[in-house]
Amino acid sequence: MSAGSVKTRPVPKATLTTKPFWDAVNQGRLLLQYDVGAGCYQFWPRSTGAKSGSPNLQWREASGKGKLYSFTVTHVAVEGFEDRAPYVIGLVELDEGVRIVANLAGVTPDEVRIGMALRVTFENMPDGSKYYAFEPDR
Amino acid sequence: MGSISEKYCIVGVGETPHMRPSGRTTLSMACEAVKKAMDDAGLKPRDIDGMTSYQFSDSCSSDSVAAALGIRLNYSHEILGGGTSTEALVGKAIGLIEAGYCKVMVIFRSMNGRSGVRMGGQAPEGPAPPVQARGYDQFAMHWGATSPAQYFAPLAMRYLRDSGATTEAFAEVAVAHRYHASLNPKAWFRTPLTIEEHQRSRWIVKPFRLLDCCLETDVAAAIIVTSRERAYDLRQPPVFIMGGLARSNLQTPGNRLFAMAGVSPKDVDLVSAYDAFTWTALLLLEYYGFCGKHEAPDFVKGGRLQIDRDLPANLSGGHLSEGYTHGVAMVIENVRQLRHRADDACPGWAEGKHSYDRKRGCRQVRNARIAVSMGEGGVPGAQLGSPADATSEMYTSALLLRGIWS
Repeated sequence: MSAGSVKTRPVPKATLTTKPFWDAVNQGRLLLQYDVGAGCYQFWPRSTGAKSGSPNLQWREASGKGKLYSFTVTHVAVEGFEDRAPYVIGLVELDEGVRIVANLAGVTPDEVRIGMALRVTFENMPDGSKYYAFEPDR
Repeated sequence: MGSISEKYCIVGVGETPHMRPSGRTTLSMACEAVKKAMDDAGLKPRDIDGMTSYQFSDSCSSDSVAAALGIRLNYSHEILGGGTSTEALVGKAIGLIEAGYCKVMVIFRSMNGRSGVRMGGQAPEGPAPPVQARGYDQFAMHWGATSPAQYFAPLAMRYLRDSGATTEAFAEVAVAHRYHASLNPKAWFRTPLTIEEHQRSRWIVKPFRLLDCCLETDVAAAIIVTSRERAYDLRQPPVFIMGGLARSNLQTPGNRLFAMAGVSPKDVDLVSAYDAFTWTALLLLEYYGFCGKHEAPDFVKGGRLQIDRDLPANLSGGHLSEGYTHGVAMVIENVRQLRHRADDACPGWAEGKHSYDRKRGCRQVRNARIAVSMGEGGVPGAQLGSPADATSEMYTSALLLRGIWS
């Protein structure tokens, strides 16, 4: 899967809350927030635990493994993504019990199946940054 | 809604034509729609004292419309919002009138949805795409998920798997709405469709084909809400607001809506279900209890959403075929149907005289008494949530209406 036209591809704007997540992604690591009081993970990053209501959250490295909850194949791309179509956007259910949106790599759109086993991978962008994607965990 | 059920009414509706492109400002279009709604109700500028609208920073404000039409407001306010906004603002209007902030509230949406800011992508004249993805978007846009089609599509894909349905269920919605558009002189697409034509249309964002996606247009539309006492003095037969939901979660919204008025889905004569995509309309039928979970594909099979059948849906042709109004037209059509004054090909429609002959272009539902409109939105949160069924994280608004003829 090509990197696309980085000029117009939107860049995530980190907030104080999400900065640790994005810093780790740029180092090729996927972190999740662990809600200590409720004993569960959550995604996306927040300032308090959605289940416990407590700010006692820990950053923990995710296994990076999961299953495909669902997906879409974009045939008519929005601006900035034209040269990547058709491309797959997956909703990946990680083993930690949270869902995350990302592209699927190393697989053609016709091979994608709901429920397939996936593992995290990182794509290198022309500007030197890294972004997570998921590939088949064969 | 309890004691104030049916205490408030929708008394005026109006809209511009659907245009591609309009070549007009959103202010010009908003003024036309609001003026038409006022004329429909028989209200003068001095009678209007509240105005509100929704937008994505892509439109004009209530105070600019009021100034242009010579209206002096006691209440004006814009909100950010999309497909759950019309019904939600009716709820706000009721609360504000009840609390004495104003007496007659105009609600409008005006957008160059095709030539200006497009929901489904950028128009040449529109603003540049975002360079930075903020909020929820920081976890989706970089991966090319930037349009509503891409937010809804994975949920629709999962729905097909869980229900065992095929995209022919989507086709049923497209065909029914298009049939109704064929009976609506204002609709953009008026040539009837077949299931096969739907199935042959090209992929946009799988599992959505071209004919699953709504039709972006430049348009403005408006409705007017006031008290029942006031409504009886006005030009049109009043349409009573029996109940409503405003950006509610999707946990059994139908139970709560229908309990407000002591009715059930069986009492409903026609519906408008938010059809940004065919699938969203299908899903709402389940969540509001017109059928059970994953039963909508069977429920709609064989044209059952078409006029004169089980549950006529989106009688104007909906966002799929009439044009995209971000929800206002769903309420406008239901109001006209409940007045028994659908603006169809019948020469006497304005006096409520209909032939009920579909071949002659009549789209008035016989004996229409109760109608419900169901909005939908809030998808990015649903994608990133963690419940077993992601669709339950979406939001909905609704309006349960009754005509005076019941």
